[in-house]
Amino acid sequence: MKYTNFKLKLRACLAVLVLFVFAAAVNAQQTTISGIVRDASNGDPILGANILEKGTSNGTITNIDGQFTIKASANSTLVVRYIGFSTVEIPIAGQKNIVVQLKEDAVALGEVVAIGYGVVKKNDATGSVTAIKPDKLNKGLTTSAQDMIVGKVAGVSVITSGGAPGSGATIRIRGGSSLNASNDPLIVIDGLAMDNDGIKGVANFLSTINPNDIETFTVLKDASATAIYGSRASNGVIIINTKKGLKGSKPKISYDGNMSIGSIRKTVDVLNGDEFRDYAKLLYADQPAALAALGTANTDWQKQIYQTSISRDHNLSVTGGYKNVPYRASAGYTNQNGVVKSSNFERFTGAISLSPSLFDDHLKINLNAKGMMVKNIYADGGVVGAATAMDPTQPVTSTDAAYAPFEGYWQWTQTTGGQIVPNPQATRNPLATLMQKSEIAHSRDFIGSADIDYKVHFLPDLHLHLNLGYNNSYGKQDLNTRASAATDYPHGRTGWDKQSKTNSSLNYYMQYGKELGIHRFDVMAGYEWQHFYREGSSEYIGLDGYNPVPSEFKTESYLVSLFGRLNYTLADKYLFTATIRNDQSSRFAADNRSAIFPAFAFAWKINEEGFMKDNNLFSDLKLRIGYGITGQQNLTGDKIPYPEYAYIPIYTTNKNGAFYPFGTTYYNTSRPDAYNAKLKWEQTTTWNAGLDFGFFKSRITGSVDYYYRNTVDLINVVTAPASTNFRNKVASNIGTLRNNGIEFTINAKAITKKDFSWEIGYNVTYNNNNITKLTSGSTEGYYVPLGGLFQGFAQAHAVGFPSSSYYVYEQIYDANHKPIEGLYADRNGDHIVNEKDKYFFHNPNADVTMGLTSKLIYKNFDFGVSLRSSIGNYVYNAVDAGGLNVGAGGVYSSLGFYSNKLKSAFDTNFSGGSNTYLSDYYVQNASFIKVDNITLGYSFKSNCKIGSGGRIYATVQNPFIITKYKGLDPEISGGIDNNIYPRPIVTMVGLSYNF
Amino acid sequence: MNNKKNKLFYIITLITIAFSATSCFDDLNVTPINPQASQTFDQDAVFAKTYAAFALSGQEGPAGNNDIDITDEGRFSLTRCLWNCSELPTDEAICAWGDNEVVELNANSWPSTNLAGEGLYARLYFIVTISNHFLGETAGMTDAKTVKQRAEVRYLRALSYYYLMDFFGDVPFSEKISAEFPIQIKRADLFTFIEKELTECEADMYEPRQADKPYYRLDKAANWLLKSRLYLNAEIYTGTARWNDAITYSNKVMTSTYKLSPSYKHLFMADNAGTIDGSTVNKASQEIIFPIAADGVKTTSWGGAIFLIASTHTNGMAGWGSTQGWGGNRARASLVKKFFPSGTVPSSDNLAIAAADDRAMFHSTDRTVDITKVTDFTKGLSVAKYSNVRADGAASNDTQFPDMDIPFMRAAEAYLTFAEANLRSTTGSATLALKAVNDLRDRAHAPQLSSITKDQVLDEWAREFYFEGRRRTDLIRFGYFGGSSYNWDWKGGTAAGSTFPVKYNLMPIPPGDLNANPNLKQNPNY
Repeated sequence: MKYTNFKLKLRACLAVLVLFVFAAAVNAQQTTISGIVRDASNGDPILGANILEKGTSNGTITNIDGQFTIKASANSTLVVRYIGFSTVEIPIAGQKNIVVQLKEDAVALGEVVAIGYGVVKKNDATGSVTAIKPDKLNKGLTTSAQDMIVGKVAGVSVITSGGAPGSGATIRIRGGSSLNASNDPLIVIDGLAMDNDGIKGVANFLSTINPNDIETFTVLKDASATAIYGSRASNGVIIINTKKGLKGSKPKISYDGNMSIGSIRKTVDVLNGDEFRDYAKLLYADQPAALAALGTANTDWQKQIYQTSISRDHNLSVTGGYKNVPYRASAGYTNQNGVVKSSNFERFTGAISLSPSLFDDHLKINLNAKGMMVKNIYADGGVVGAATAMDPTQPVTSTDAAYAPFEGYWQWTQTTGGQIVPNPQATRNPLATLMQKSEIAHSRDFIGSADIDYKVHFLPDLHLHLNLGYNNSYGKQDLNTRASAATDYPHGRTGWDKQSKTNSSLNYYMQYGKELGIHRFDVMAGYEWQHFYREGSSEYIGLDGYNPVPSEFKTESYLVSLFGRLNYTLADKYLFTATIRNDQSSRFAADNRSAIFPAFAFAWKINEEGFMKDNNLFSDLKLRIGYGITGQQNLTGDKIPYPEYAYIPIYTTNKNGAFYPFGTTYYNTSRPDAYNAKLKWEQTTTWNAGLDFGFFKSRITGSVDYYYRNTVDLINVVTAPASTNFRNKVASNIGTLRNNGIEFTINAKAITKKDFSWEIGYNVTYNNNNITKLTSGSTEGYYVPLGGLFQGFAQAHAVGFPSSSYYVYEQIYDANHKPIEGLYADRNGDHIVNEKDKYFFHNPNADVTMGLTSKLIYKNFDFGVSLRSSIGNYVYNAVDAGGLNVGAGGVYSSLGFYSNKLKSAFDTNFSGGSNTYLSDYYVQNASFIKVDNITLGYSFKSNCKIGSGGRIYATVQNPFIITKYKGLDPEISGGIDNNIYPRPIVTMVGLSYNF
Repeated sequence: MNNKKNKLFYIITLITIAFSATSCFDDLNVTPINPQASQTFDQDAVFAKTYAAFALSGQEGPAGNNDIDITDEGRFSLTRCLWNCSELPTDEAICAWGDNEVVELNANSWPSTNLAGEGLYARLYFIVTISNHFLGETAGMTDAKTVKQRAEVRYLRALSYYYLMDFFGDVPFSEKISAEFPIQIKRADLFTFIEKELTECEADMYEPRQADKPYYRLDKAANWLLKSRLYLNAEIYTGTARWNDAITYSNKVMTSTYKLSPSYKHLFMADNAGTIDGSTVNKASQEIIFPIAADGVKTTSWGGAIFLIASTHTNGMAGWGSTQGWGGNRARASLVKKFFPSGTVPSSDNLAIAAADDRAMFHSTDRTVDITKVTDFTKGLSVAKYSNVRADGAASNDTQFPDMDIPFMRAAEAYLTFAEANLRSTTGSATLALKAVNDLRDRAHAPQLSSITKDQVLDEWAREFYFEGRRRTDLIRFGYFGGSSYNWDWKGGTAAGSTFPVKYNLMPIPPGDLNANPNLKQNPNY
């Protein structure tokens, strides 16, 4: 089935469904009822509660004083709903005035949690599942969906790739389970499993969803919960459900918006112009050429490239229910300026959700459409580093005729063949780079899904469920570099790179649930088909037609699966779950294509036992044990020419610039590429044991989990024996990796007074990762280098150590605790210090991560704080190491230019020996405590005719970090700190208003 | 209502059936849709690739689709690895850069792996493997075109194995692609294989400079020249000297239609393909037996000709025709002293006249002969031998990437091989040896010698071929490399020069392959 064909079918289905949605409803004899809705706990009136005449679409909502008036038939029943409270049904029975008391629903959110292909009562969940609802009050600047779960869920680490507007993030659940394959969790949005690849202009697809549209995040962590997703679930699953309308409710319009100011926390401490001149004069007293190259200015290059940025965000949503069609529509606009000049992220989002239910709720339909348009103006990533290395004695611009070709921007130059050209080895004027190079991406994204659940009329225990999903993304990035720019002098460069992807999916399943005495069964079986298609092309050329480079790629893959689940509950105390999934992936040869992923889980609700009945302490106590196998098929592309076709023999034709001549004719060349026909699934086995608990009538709730994960047949790009394959390295199933850890979560409602409440949430995770096998051979000391530096590699995968451990020399220090350049410990005692003396020294992954949130509400004021800590994560400080050479060879290059130095480089006073970079001195403890955001809010009621009330708030995000780390920011994904785009401090004010 | 119910059930069932029916497990049998990918063997294009593998680092120029998996595509191109391993550990060249592989080679001290060695190994086996593939796919074909192509591919494979034998000694060996672990062949056995291959493919190759031979394709002269090189070093590879065979085959080259270029410096210029480059001035192509093609637009990489040009040049030197000047590789004092025994040189951007030898293409302005600091490019004379400037003065195709073909094998080698073998062979002629050396000196406008010794031939090898990627082999043949007292500045990593162990006469087998192939044993003392 080709995807175009699939699209047609999708359209046909949707048309049919829409017809059904607008089935009519009828009215009867009317009477007028008025009333008030109050919070049962404190008697406060509730604003915006929904009142619905049962069985009709007739309804209203309460006003600011909690009051409502409705015309309804005298013998009908009113249904009163408000989010976060239990729904109440009140028979009118002739009453004209009604007071409704709504009780806050302690487990309103937790009541039902999404699991793969279905939902389960939180109390009946057997796996490690965490559902969180984004905090409305203290959310900080949330441009991307992932911003909302930072630090909120035990075992989930989110590290943004930097402070650039719209930048992506690395999400890891319980550490990575792969080395070369993807470690990203599977993300499922409204039933549609997404692929994780970003497209041009959008770093990852999570930024395509407006965070304001998200109702819940559900994180499935252990295999008993994730195995139903089989081959894509080894790194956990995040299920995102978006907000829906409420049946029969009046339209409710809400606005949420903010303005923010971003500024950079601090800059790298480098020499200023005068200090640099003094130092250079000292170093090069006898070198007139070097002295002559010094300038007279005092330029703070970092100041030149950074700015205080102003950003704004507006969101408008309408929620309601037209007859039996609940709906929600929203629109969002984000305009974020970056702290590096010229960078900007502008996004429009729109979402529509319709969730009609028909035939007495026998047919429930969820239709979701989400669209997004982004314009992203990128600042050149190199300027952050260039601003620290550019000579501070040089001016930003110069009127000297020599710089006229560069639009007056000062640059290091050299003379080649009588022409003045930019010195190709020298640091480029970072402001000139920002001003002369423009990279703008335009992208758009559409996600559509239709989710249909039919409760069979003659057999209501049987549900038929169909889910159709379609995702199309397109992004085009335009480059325009002026001819005056040093990077592309004198030709300039223009062109574009565009990519698009289309993923389609279809799944259907049947679910049958039956209760027989103390036995309860729930059986589900289904089928899924997914197609991933991706293409791209680019074309770059000099403004004068110089060196055109066109490029094009297309790739696709399919995944076809069968899956099933059996839930069995005995006496509502003992819960058993078994799931099985068969996945077949087009990424493997026919012989290895099919894999079975089973899982089992058992849970025991201890507090349901007779002996617990009388206890007042525990309101909940449940033991969970789970086991399961999940797989991994996603090879990542940079080391494998065709990750989707890694098992197929392929020839690659040359592109531009890579022809070969015979005589005067230039021929195409064709390269046979490496392949591994035996490539197969990576498999991860997980054991999980957990305990859920609640004390004091659920005022304190929490859980503790222990897990053990073992990944075998790791897909690893390893050396192929010479002459056996077309490339020296090929993807193979070699290696074993183990992760184990403990997670603990606790939430407490410390104070629950009428005017004063305080909630605290805390989570902590310990994770340990260790490579237990790496190759087919058994060579002692074998390792896979990674983490490439200016010279050599700072990291390695090796047996017996955590993945990506630092592999460096042990620095020797003098009596004053200063490192002695190039002097390392002879660790193997052979009296020669060479590469055999390198050792494994810490790793970039945190041993312990923690998150803490606190929310105080006093009368109309709310005050929230969320902070986060990471302990035991180390970072290789490549910013320091890169500029370490303060000797005569490192400040002025014999190639004719100066490089500025960090003040910290004078702590070491190194002068650039060959292995200096590989000192463990640069592997630094990057443990930290970070305050993510602090918010103060005030809720108010409005007396004007439009609107009923709202909230104003002020937030400061990222206000401070406590760390020993010597670089600017200890939070570095991957562990090598290479001048990331700084994460700004953001101060914002916002308004939420309900109309 | 009931009617509606039935209708709905009907529709749902229909949808379910519709999707079940089209649920294709067949979808899983994908064929690549990438326009750059194909599943068919394109004989001419794979043939071109075996040549291109010497010139380029991947399928996209100058970089972007590397043939091998290594950290930096251009830094570990074949030319660059071969050059670094051949020149930096010798008395000719030293590099200012801090790259680990360079620092280790400069100082004749590397651990159980050297990245340039690893890159060289991977690139050479890449050529071996694609050659094996080509020969496998064309096996049994007898048409004239294929027969010629097969002969050249066998030659290129033999040449790759020659370098593997020369650098690594006993190496994995295979003539076909198979999942079985290749055996580790003895150096002497590999010598025999190369000799046999060259003999077998010779008849099917073009005649030297045959009129209908497209330039850049190889002919019998390349075959003879490689054989003469094989025999000249036979004693090192097999323990048995083959001086007379070296004389025979070098003489075949000298008496072939290849002849010395009238100008030495034209050999290293942008239009060194002569009429192919549209140049009537540059006659270098009559000497160049194996040109590795480069073109500023169509055949580009960061590790080919551009490396020879850019790594030796920087700001302030006479125009070299490229915006790239990386200031790294330069002459050791010991090389300069082959031209200026006193070690004193005038300040100039070309010392040819001062040396009375066209080959002394040194830049000495703002330079010192003695290298007081390895990492300072201005300590040591710059070598202005390679450039992207055309002999006819016309503009080259690009201001960055060079048109200069690498003169990978040229007829002058036969002269020195002939001279050295004649001096070494018990039946050789010192007179013929002297004449061959003087022929080269004559072309370089250098004074004629009246007599010659073996050591003088070695010096002549340096003067004629410095910075052309062969010095290591010459020094080893003379016993002047590992473990010898033959000295040069910064030998063994000390300014005055110090002896380094003989184990460095071989590069270590890369640990990755040792680990992957249980049949392999590491070279001694690594």
